[in-house]
Amino acid sequence: MRLTALDEAAEAIGLKKNQGVAEARAIYPKLDIAEEDLGADRRLLDGIADWCDRYTPLVALDGPDGLFLDITGSSHLFGGENALLKDILLRLFQMGLDARGAISSAPGLSWAASRFGSGGVIADEEMEQVLAPLPVASLRLAENTVAALQKLGLKRVGDIIAAPRAPLARRFGAHLLLRLDQALGRDEEPVSPRRPVASLSAERRLAEPVQTEEDILSLTGQIALSLKASLEERGAGGRAFELMLFRVDGRVFRIAAGASQPLRDPKRIAALFSERLQAVHDDLDAGYGFEILRLNVMRHEAFDAAQEDFDGDRQKDVSLSTFVDRVSARLGADCLQSFHMRESHVPERAVTAVPAIDGLSSGKRPAASGFSWSRSERPLRLFRQPESVEVSAAEVPEGPPESFRWRRILHRVCRSQGPERLAMEWWIDGTDVRARDYFRIEDDTGHRFWIYREGLYGQMPPPRWFMHGVFA
Amino acid sequence: MVQTPMTRERLFALREEIARLEGSSVAAARQEALAGESGHAKRKDSHRLSLDVPALDGALEGGLPLDGLCEIRSQLMRDAPAVTGFALALAALLQRKAGQDRSPVLWISDTVTAMETGIPYALGLADFGLRPERFLHAAPRRLEEALWLAETAVESGAFLVSILEVKGNPAHFGLTESRRLSLRARAAGRPLLLLRQSAEEEASSAAFRFLVEPAPAAIRFLPDRSILGGSIGNPVFRLTLEKSRNPAPLSLFLEWNPHDRQFFSVNKPEHARVPLKRAAHSGPHLSASADRPDSPQDMGPVLAFDQAS
Repeated sequence: MRLTALDEAAEAIGLKKNQGVAEARAIYPKLDIAEEDLGADRRLLDGIADWCDRYTPLVALDGPDGLFLDITGSSHLFGGENALLKDILLRLFQMGLDARGAISSAPGLSWAASRFGSGGVIADEEMEQVLAPLPVASLRLAENTVAALQKLGLKRVGDIIAAPRAPLARRFGAHLLLRLDQALGRDEEPVSPRRPVASLSAERRLAEPVQTEEDILSLTGQIALSLKASLEERGAGGRAFELMLFRVDGRVFRIAAGASQPLRDPKRIAALFSERLQAVHDDLDAGYGFEILRLNVMRHEAFDAAQEDFDGDRQKDVSLSTFVDRVSARLGADCLQSFHMRESHVPERAVTAVPAIDGLSSGKRPAASGFSWSRSERPLRLFRQPESVEVSAAEVPEGPPESFRWRRILHRVCRSQGPERLAMEWWIDGTDVRARDYFRIEDDTGHRFWIYREGLYGQMPPPRWFMHGVFA
Repeated sequence: MVQTPMTRERLFALREEIARLEGSSVAAARQEALAGESGHAKRKDSHRLSLDVPALDGALEGGLPLDGLCEIRSQLMRDAPAVTGFALALAALLQRKAGQDRSPVLWISDTVTAMETGIPYALGLADFGLRPERFLHAAPRRLEEALWLAETAVESGAFLVSILEVKGNPAHFGLTESRRLSLRARAAGRPLLLLRQSAEEEASSAAFRFLVEPAPAAIRFLPDRSILGGSIGNPVFRLTLEKSRNPAPLSLFLEWNPHDRQFFSVNKPEHARVPLKRAAHSGPHLSASADRPDSPQDMGPVLAFDQAS
């Protein structure tokens, strides 16, 4: 067992990372040791990253203990880079976190300056000056490269900057120079955000935190109102929204909601979240209240503004899509489905259930012409899985059963219609699957069933009978 | 009959009072009164769905109410397809009569029933006379969600008809809930069909309750009136009107023609066998076994000794 992390007091005693626990105990017997929990560390870092969303939507994780924030275009909102950095560090300190940070034009340099240097804001012209005195480890290199460099006496980054590039590349590979260039801003290094970036977002910062659902909803409506202009500018309406609630103590809640049609109307956007809040009510712990509310438009689509006609038919469309949105927000998108036809003769493949929230707006109704092949009547209700039926006697070789036992009840067949032979689709199922012979059957009590025989009599293995649906 | 304005006014007031008590539309009652004394036959306002079967329409006072709750039940789970068929036939009829109204039909299914008898199948719906592209299927997990869905759907007014399927008589769906749904439906002016699969008769706020049982299907005739062998014709339901304002119970066989989207009243199909109530154990009844004691002897002569003299 080795030490992987130390707090300030332990560092002051002189303990080091990678020291054995026994040795550390020998140095300081009263040492308090907690086992490392990588998952918990990760969750904490995720939580901090969520919290950092208040500064910029572009937050990337950096290893187990760092975050990159791309603050391009957002620092002026916080009174400049200096004020921004101070604000982040102060707030993190108040939360009990010991954080260090640096702002520069290159992620590599910020990394080096915050971990090995004094941090702060680094102007473009003094980048080299700041980097030069730092140790080579600050270039984010592999351990053996660092060791090899140190063995050669190249202890500071300044030594490498001054050294000729070609021999370095030959000896240590191109990676060293790439890292150096990245740290000096000569090479572009993108920061990949940990969450998809919203196409539009608006937020409201509150002096007094809100707790109640009504307040959250009315604020959502206000924020949506401020989004409306930008949506109109783009000629678009939002299909997927995300409401971010920043709790006072740093926890961040994200509530997603979808719409079946592109939405712009603030009232309807707020209504989406009113259902979602009902659904996630138990998970949403308001605590001491929320201080920032942000509404993101995750996905938007062209908004076809149609002229209202006199007969109010459009009003009906609106109420239908409102209903679909409400249900999908509250009970999940899968709860409400519409059926789409597919070109397949296998009964269970001929129809797919599509969430109504997607099915309504797609607008492309499958052409009915694809289903013009002659087929017998299909049952009103189809089982998800065909159920096995026990048939004791059937007309051989290809006739209907004389009677059958299904769910322990014996049904005597009075009339039957069929067979309709459906071969399975070889391009999906392969050639081993046996064809089905479907019969429409009426028993002596007037119940009508759709049963099929898989395989043929006289073949091995013997055929099996299944119940696949019921007729009215 | 000559009426003074006074008595006329009084008559109107009384009629409205009765209409209010009966729960039917006051406006309709007023209209009827204005139209004269032509009686019930003339009351065919747009809020009724006429089934085009005179006997049934008469019992339903002009047709199925389109602004209220109507209950359809089956006795056994295996009769559920018949209930499904009748409800969907009503929906198809409504779609035909609605004409320009392109609102969809909503089917709120029940988890257990869906496992027992499957879920509505779009191709089958098309064969049954419905437009599957105007059909939405909702699968809520719990009864509370289903009730909320039904209420929201009726309230939104976006659906031609909402169909709520429930298994049995759940404790959480009593008179209060049915009254609530019924009031919503009336306020929104949209119909709600409540299907109770394998359920008992229960007091509810529905205006009508049907019991649907399957019946042997119709015969398919060839153009020369000969019977097409090896075929099963249009579905037939045995419909019993269990609850209505009409005290006489009504029971009839209805055939649904999916092609014309129309109901027909049929006589009891003569080719139909009586639904046999078969004994649990089939087979011939055997005579009493032979090796058991014979029927008990008369007791008296054995026990009662002659009196000692």
